Amino acid sequence: MVTDGNPEPARQPEPPQGHGPAGRRPMPPENRAVPGRPGPGESAPAWGPGGEPAASVPSAGDTAPGTAADDGTPGRAETGRQRLVASLWPPRLTRAQLIVALLLFILGLGLAIQVRSTSDSSALRGARQEDLVRILDELDNRSQRLTDEERRLEGQKTELENSSDQAEEARKQTVEKEQQLGVLAGTVAAQGPGINLTIDDSAHSVEADKLLDTIQELRAAGAEAIQVNDVRIVANTYLSDSGNGVEIDGKRVGQPYRFKVIGKPEDLEPALNIPGGVVQTLEKEQAKVSVTREGKIIVNALREAKRPDYARSSSQ
Amino acid sequence: MIAVLGLIVGVVVGLVVRPVVPTVVEPYLPIAVIAALDAVFGGLRAMLDGIFDDKVFVVSFLSNVVVAALIVFLGDKLGVGAQLSTGVVVVLGIRIFSNAAAIRRHVFRA
Repeated sequence: MVTDGNPEPARQPEPPQGHGPAGRRPMPPENRAVPGRPGPGESAPAWGPGGEPAASVPSAGDTAPGTAADDGTPGRAETGRQRLVASLWPPRLTRAQLIVALLLFILGLGLAIQVRSTSDSSALRGARQEDLVRILDELDNRSQRLTDEERRLEGQKTELENSSDQAEEARKQTVEKEQQLGVLAGTVAAQGPGINLTIDDSAHSVEADKLLDTIQELRAAGAEAIQVNDVRIVANTYLSDSGNGVEIDGKRVGQPYRFKVIGKPEDLEPALNIPGGVVQTLEKEQAKVSVTREGKIIVNALREAKRPDYARSSSQ
Repeated sequence: MIAVLGLIVGVVVGLVVRPVVPTVVEPYLPIAVIAALDAVFGGLRAMLDGIFDDKVFVVSFLSNVVVAALIVFLGDKLGVGAQLSTGVVVVLGIRIFSNAAAIRRHVFRA
């Protein structure tokens, strides 16, 4: 727009261009001698953004900068630079300054807000509508995919939890089973209600078969764990006579024979005491027999778990 | 001087207070700012030319902002908001450039 190769003197203000109809007009030569001074016939540039008509221009001379400069430096010495300096310093509190300050304040405010809000939300702000739609679609797809994946992983997690629950359950059952089998096999101590049976055979007339009968009777009455003195009675227990005593599993048990039996006391005691039963038979042999019910019997004689050499489970 | 102070204070207040712009006004703010910038450059040039008038400045500032916003609004309604915004920015930019060239001639004499 502005032609730098203008033949006119450089210090002269350029005829403003592109500012409405008035700006196109060549400046009358007589006005160039006093640049910036609103002469009567001056078709001044329509500086106003709205393309202000030149008619409003002559009134400009009454405001501070122009007037002060005109008074101070008559003639062509009054340049734009001097006017600028004069208007900057010293500061004057005029109506024009205040109004311009207010408008510039608004401008600065808007500028700051706009700059801030533009820098706030990065890339999306400047994007076109189609781009935004595409981005939205992509986000939708992505969230869909992620939701699917979440569901899948959720299912996997549930599955794993179930299986780990099952493993835990199986482990618990195994432990329980081990305890039960341990009670039967005599590898763990057992406790529960039951009876104490004491056979005091000072005459040494009670032999292994009598004790075996007693054990059998107790088993028939539902005894679950039996211990004689410090020997646990299990499935492969055997009794034998030796001299004037009895051996159980090859281990000699001394007098008196103290049976600790876990089972239902209400079943065990009558089973021993029935007429013609164990107690009567033993008493016939001159032995003193006492049976007492106990709320808590502890069978704590243990036996090593022995791995069978020949017998194998046939279920596998 | 007071005017420059006003500009600085405005920027500082805008940065510090972070006022929330209503969503309705938001699309017109950048165009309005450009239009106001154009008005300010025009005013500065007029001052250097010695023909500054505060009344003209106020009217042109406000009408500039209003017209710019109106054009964008109209463009939005017609479905050519983006193009019209670009057009307004180009026109205002050209004006700002030519005003800046005139100011430069005044200040640097070149």
